[in-house]
Amino acid sequence: MLTSREIIETLGTKFGKQILKAEEKVSNQVFVTIVPDALMPVVCFLNQALSARFLINAATDRREQDGRYTVSYIFSFDREKIFLCIQVAVDSTDPNIGSITPIIAGANWSERETRDLVGINLRGHPDPRRLVLADDWPQEIYPLRKDFPYDYKPPSEPQNKVPLKKPPKGTKVIPIGPFYPVLEEPAYFKLFVDGETIVDCDYRGFYSHRGIEKMGDSKLTYNQICFIAERICGICGFIHSTCYCEAVERAAGIEVPLRAHYIRTIMLELERIHSHLLWLGIAVHIIGFDTLLMQSWRIREPVMWLCEKISGNRKTYGMNLIGGVRRDIPSSIYDEIVRVVERIERQTKEVIDAVMDDTSLHVRLKDVGVLTKEVARDICTVGPTARGSNIRIDSRVDHPYAAYDRIDFEVAVESGCDIWARTLVRLKETIESVKIVKQCLLEMPDGPIMGEVMEEIPAGREAICCVEAPRGEAIHYVLTGQDNRPYRWRVRAPTYANLQCVPHIIKGERIADVPIIVGSLDPCYSCTERMAVVDVRTGIEKICTKEEVIKR
Amino acid sequence: MFISKLKQALICLKAGRVTLPYPYKPTAPPEGFRGRPKIDIDKCIGCAGCANVCPSRAIEVTDFDEGWRRIQFHLTRCISCGRCEEVCPEEAVRLTDQFELSTNTKEDLTVAIEIYMDTCQRCARCFKPQHPLDKMMVTGFRK
Repeated sequence: MLTSREIIETLGTKFGKQILKAEEKVSNQVFVTIVPDALMPVVCFLNQALSARFLINAATDRREQDGRYTVSYIFSFDREKIFLCIQVAVDSTDPNIGSITPIIAGANWSERETRDLVGINLRGHPDPRRLVLADDWPQEIYPLRKDFPYDYKPPSEPQNKVPLKKPPKGTKVIPIGPFYPVLEEPAYFKLFVDGETIVDCDYRGFYSHRGIEKMGDSKLTYNQICFIAERICGICGFIHSTCYCEAVERAAGIEVPLRAHYIRTIMLELERIHSHLLWLGIAVHIIGFDTLLMQSWRIREPVMWLCEKISGNRKTYGMNLIGGVRRDIPSSIYDEIVRVVERIERQTKEVIDAVMDDTSLHVRLKDVGVLTKEVARDICTVGPTARGSNIRIDSRVDHPYAAYDRIDFEVAVESGCDIWARTLVRLKETIESVKIVKQCLLEMPDGPIMGEVMEEIPAGREAICCVEAPRGEAIHYVLTGQDNRPYRWRVRAPTYANLQCVPHIIKGERIADVPIIVGSLDPCYSCTERMAVVDVRTGIEKICTKEEVIKR
Repeated sequence: MFISKLKQALICLKAGRVTLPYPYKPTAPPEGFRGRPKIDIDKCIGCAGCANVCPSRAIEVTDFDEGWRRIQFHLTRCISCGRCEEVCPEEAVRLTDQFELSTNTKEDLTVAIEIYMDTCQRCARCFKPQHPLDKMMVTGFRK
């Protein structure tokens, strides 16, 4: 078990003068500044010798402060409960940096995003195509630079369309998308098939950018961002707002009352219950088992009503603010909460008992979409996708937030590596969440629900927060700034990490299994694509008017 | 397999019909529901605190005709977060339990109030007169 001090010392003795600065800015969060040339060896050392797990990187335009860009690579030491942030300053006249994707495959998207949005060129990236920006976005215009106005609409340049991969010899192309029919979300998969078998695939997504990060650092204030963060995802909204709030609170050193922590924990777990039941319904709907869809959604509905009663809305709770929560859970409804979650536990167990021996489910789910432990590690997958492949990571335990450091629960891990294993992980977690909610209600202390917030949050502080969403861990990095708003706010949703493993897990499978394999990751495209700025319509696409639709 | 299917059938039978007859029968939201905000013109002092905190910029404040302030709630943008209710010093904004807001005319979803304010002699910005009776003295009070 390394401590923060030992990590700093280890890096110091190994790399000596290449480490420019190292400090523990927030408890258990180490920020290390290194010279650009040392990036490769440091990342190699962290990944191989210290087995740190890569989370995201975030580029910040800091030309106003010191005339340079900063790229932060965030790593996690899971057992040690420590975040390590490696920062590199990049010269602004010719911004370029060596790519770490050859060492860590999971850094692929994150690095391309840095290039697309802040304009830091990558040396040695294996797949340097455009990822985040729209097909007709002009070259050399980078939306997350500070000199780019948030409402600027650049002229369309359709010639910049991203070339998709050429199909391998002897294969046919089958497109799925751009509107993915099964999950009712925009994503485009181009499958290369040989007969029925998938040989390879290419993905083009990021159709639903909404420029949330740009809004956050140019227009909104700290407390307004809580609400837009909640709208990053339609299912795990509260997770994002909690994650953002905790990141700001950690950066600014704001004490949050214990009761507020407990209330956040309860809401997070209620959200996990309804998300997992929703996923179960959709997953079995994909394979045509609608009976279970109806039943799992029926079981889910009372949670939504309960949340509506607690927060005033069934999905967007709007309860988080910097420093605490806005609504208390009155003791008069404790009993009702217990009753509802216990009924859900009972009914979920009944359903599990009924479908466990259903051979038609086994045929569709067992040994399909196999994600081996090695690939899962390499791609840096998170959440149930990783836990189904026998990787014991759960940020509720690894990086405790809210009141999770006071709560006992088990992390569900399965070693099957297939869709069935991921299903079992989610079902076990649903039952575990019920326990957590009940334990919270028992232990929740009385007291204030909103902490004291200082008049102004000081600029230049930074912190990371990691919250375990039903799909995996959501990560928010916040660098505080002037004018009551963050200077940089970087969001990574769990699907961002998980979706990158799709080419690996559909290789060798049959076409008919693709929907359920992709569905087994519980993908959430709007989460993943929270970013960029303008609309994504290319010049080629035609938009139908209402009248035209009616005429058809 | 067969037992499994029997168990599933039993679960379905036990659950029975659970769908609600909405919209044929109205459903009442629970207490504390966050519906559309409603503004009380008699209580509003035109401080524009609500417009300041609104995350979705649904509240627009414009000054016109020397001393008149128009506050518009664009409900098409409103996310019913209730921040306006929270910060209002006079409790003039309240969230109602109305949630059925669909309409064919978009203008229906804009609520505007106009209140008379005094103009500051030094900075020429509006402020609410000191005494509530003062506004009765103004001709054309409340258009």
